Amino acid sequence: MNVNITRNILRFRTVNINLRRFKSSETKVVTYDPFVNKPKKTKQTYLEVIKMFEDQDTRRRGHVEFIYAALSRMNEFGVQKDLEVYKALVDVLPKGKFIPVNIFQAEFLHYPKQQQCAVDLLEQMENNGVMPDSELEQMLLNIFGRRGIPLRKYWRMMYWMPKFKNLSPWALPDTLPDNTLELANLAIQRITSVDPDTKIDVWQTEEIEASIDKTWIVSAQSRIQKVLLAEQPPDIPLVIKGPFNVYLRDQVVTYFLLLGKTRPEYQDNTDTDDVSKIQKPIGIPGVIGKVTLPQVKCTVHEQDDGTIVAVCATGTSSRDSLLSWIRLLEKHDNPALANIPVIFTLIAPPADVSLYETDIVKNENK
Amino acid sequence: MNIARKICSIRYSHVQRNVHRKYRISSVNYESTKAETQIQEEKFDFEDLKVLERVERRKAAIPPFMKNVFLSIFNRDLLAYPEILNKEESTALDNRVSIIQKTFEDPNSTEDERRDVLSRTGMFGAPVALTDGGLAMNYTESLRYLDVISNDLQLSQELSDHWVCLKLLKIGLTSDNYQKIISDLMTGDSTIGVCVQEKISDRVLQADFRTSAVLNQHGVWVINGEKICKTQTKYVIVLCLTEGMKLKAFLVHPNASGVNYKENYVSFKDTPGTPLTEATEEQLSKTLGMTRLYTANLCRNNLMKSMKASVEYVRTRFISGKPLSQMPTIRSQIGNTLMDIYASESAEYFTAGLLDGYMDPDAELEVAMNFIANHAQSQILKLLAIQGVERPRECLHLLDEMRKLSFRGETLENVNMFIAINGIHHAGRNMANDVKKLRNPLFNPSFILKKIIADRNQERDEPKLDLYLSEDLHPTLKKPSEQLEYCVLRMRYIVESLMSRYGTDVVMASTELNRLAEASTEIYVMAAVLARASRSYCIGLRNGEFEMKLAACFVESTKDHVKKLLLDIAEGEYINLDHFRINFGKTVFENKGLLVEKPTARVFW
Repeated sequence: MNVNITRNILRFRTVNINLRRFKSSETKVVTYDPFVNKPKKTKQTYLEVIKMFEDQDTRRRGHVEFIYAALSRMNEFGVQKDLEVYKALVDVLPKGKFIPVNIFQAEFLHYPKQQQCAVDLLEQMENNGVMPDSELEQMLLNIFGRRGIPLRKYWRMMYWMPKFKNLSPWALPDTLPDNTLELANLAIQRITSVDPDTKIDVWQTEEIEASIDKTWIVSAQSRIQKVLLAEQPPDIPLVIKGPFNVYLRDQVVTYFLLLGKTRPEYQDNTDTDDVSKIQKPIGIPGVIGKVTLPQVKCTVHEQDDGTIVAVCATGTSSRDSLLSWIRLLEKHDNPALANIPVIFTLIAPPADVSLYETDIVKNENK
Repeated sequence: MNIARKICSIRYSHVQRNVHRKYRISSVNYESTKAETQIQEEKFDFEDLKVLERVERRKAAIPPFMKNVFLSIFNRDLLAYPEILNKEESTALDNRVSIIQKTFEDPNSTEDERRDVLSRTGMFGAPVALTDGGLAMNYTESLRYLDVISNDLQLSQELSDHWVCLKLLKIGLTSDNYQKIISDLMTGDSTIGVCVQEKISDRVLQADFRTSAVLNQHGVWVINGEKICKTQTKYVIVLCLTEGMKLKAFLVHPNASGVNYKENYVSFKDTPGTPLTEATEEQLSKTLGMTRLYTANLCRNNLMKSMKASVEYVRTRFISGKPLSQMPTIRSQIGNTLMDIYASESAEYFTAGLLDGYMDPDAELEVAMNFIANHAQSQILKLLAIQGVERPRECLHLLDEMRKLSFRGETLENVNMFIAINGIHHAGRNMANDVKKLRNPLFNPSFILKKIIADRNQERDEPKLDLYLSEDLHPTLKKPSEQLEYCVLRMRYIVESLMSRYGTDVVMASTELNRLAEASTEIYVMAAVLARASRSYCIGLRNGEFEMKLAACFVESTKDHVKKLLLDIAEGEYINLDHFRINFGKTVFENKGLLVEKPTARVFW
């Protein structure tokens, strides 16, 4: 009971300390911020600043303020996801001094400001998804000892973070590419992962002479989708829908779908309790399966709003590039597209609907 | 307890008889001693009275044997192993077999010589009626012939298919057409093959069976499609679709136009064919199903060949100054193989006996129960491991032959599905009422309570053994017969729980059905083995006591397997782990590449 009360008081005190810290940094003391003056904001210059701070004073006065300042500047320098930088910051703290030597120190938050600073640093790492390593643990141990709050924070992080790290079924590389084509490729790969058989092609619209928009197209189609497209009746038009957004961390990629006709849902109204009518198998050796086929949905591509027969992302997301996409699809093993009309229903840039039909249909009209 | 049973038991209506059975001291009332009526069929061809048609001594029709086992009904009369041939027939058979054996066991004989001896002994026209110049061979005889002919695997496959097709022609063609063609087929110069299986469809909207036949404008049936075909024969029977969904067999004559043989496949393009109009789908199924019986025979003989090769190899080798044949592991492998061969042989001749001995036999299930195909593959691997290191080429040849045989026409899973669904179909008709009540327990509370009490022994996996199979076997086989009885009695309960769990969707529960089929196949083989051993011992066949040991040992080992299979079905997909296995497979299909990281991978350093 007593312990709890002391803890409460203590917690109150730390809050006070924190409040005072902010007060002091905002109004009373004007701190010198060495990060502001750096002309080039890179990891290297960031580390240089830390090095400078370490070298200028052997006692390292004001290291807590320095670390807070450094943490707040991380995004500017683009180093917020870099473990090495965080380690360099932790290294600023002096070793051995903050380790409690008796039970009272251990229990009553030895050097609270410094401990809170380290916890904040770890918190920022966690928010940025940077996983600490065992070297950081060793550093924190050398600074705060095994009774330190930062160590507890570290251990908790090391329990949860590895569990969350690989949870996403659509894992992305640690650094996303800058190139939009590669980004689109990554996005399409993740969208089409429902069918592992999907083949992703990167085409250039230059292949189609009539194209106005010279750009790239990332198109994905699986063999089953090809079959479904080939089975599309020529009198029912295909529909291009889009653009839809897909997010890769903080990047967004727009993509388009080519939708075909859906088959009806499988419906079975027979009484499952009546086992007297189980059909007898044919039994001729070698005859398997069914002689006639029910026309019902059975693949993952057949969704409620249509059968997705292809997916793409283009460099410009323009209507002309989509037109080229259809042409390119036709050229690459989808001859059925020559006879099937395609409707564009694009929501974003111009919200109009245009009917595009193949040359054959046009010629017939003429 | 007895009062409860009296009130609740719906199934056991023979209480009185059973009590009597327990206290009787004489065998006067044994049911099996009843004289059976035998129906004799004599067919005369009145045009040519010099040749009489063969007399078939068939007993009156019996209810289907294995289908009833799905309902835990066992026809004990069949435990008297069928004896089909009489003295004259048996002597004639032995004579012919010895002639064929002389050529086929001679390693230096050429294929022409072998064909010649087959032709001389009338093998190519064996199933044809005596009045048509054939031998009117029945199934028992055909198995005996195949045992010898199977020394030449290629020839025996061709011949067995030929026999099946001859039967089909007899059923399917009108007698005029049949007479025209039959003389050409009996000489052995031209044989008939059968083409049923097709490639697996690679399109969503493509039916599984695509070869079709249509009447063209000249009134001729023309066939279009592609079939899997392993051996090239002059005549071919092709199974086609007509009118969209009816299956019909067509005979394609030699040198017909549009037939194109490729490796493993044959394609037909506007090929004219003679329809076997008289053969219905059911007859097609029954007749063509006989290939399964012959396949079992060939598999067994191939396993026998491998065993002989191994024994031959081991005899002349030594290890640590002692004969290699003294190694207990080698001996046990050979013993295992012998047990499998014995079991399979018993089951085949038993099936043949069912087909030959009764009127209108319904034995499609028994014919399909190809026990050996399942076991031979794993057994041959163990067997060939004895000599495999030193003689890879011979071993590979034997293995390849076995592989080809096991997949002859269809895979094991397909046959198992056929067996199980057929059994379920039969059981479903008989148990529909019970299953409906079981699936709606709240509407039928009293039924459920009765069921709980009636099934209490089954729940404990200790069914009350009230079939008394040992009464129809030699007394020393009492224990094995009780083991068989246990398996039979479990069947109804298992089938019932399976159907009440899945309802009509039971046909989709393939993994469970596979187990059921395997279990029922083994039960069938157990019954056949016991019947055969008991018969051999009772009539004093040479090495009868060895057969008894083989049978007892086989039943003992198989019972555990059947028990496990049936228990797995009863426990359901979560305990028998099917659910997880299926999901693992599903995940593999849904993902590219590896699903699990390498053991060297790390998340942090």
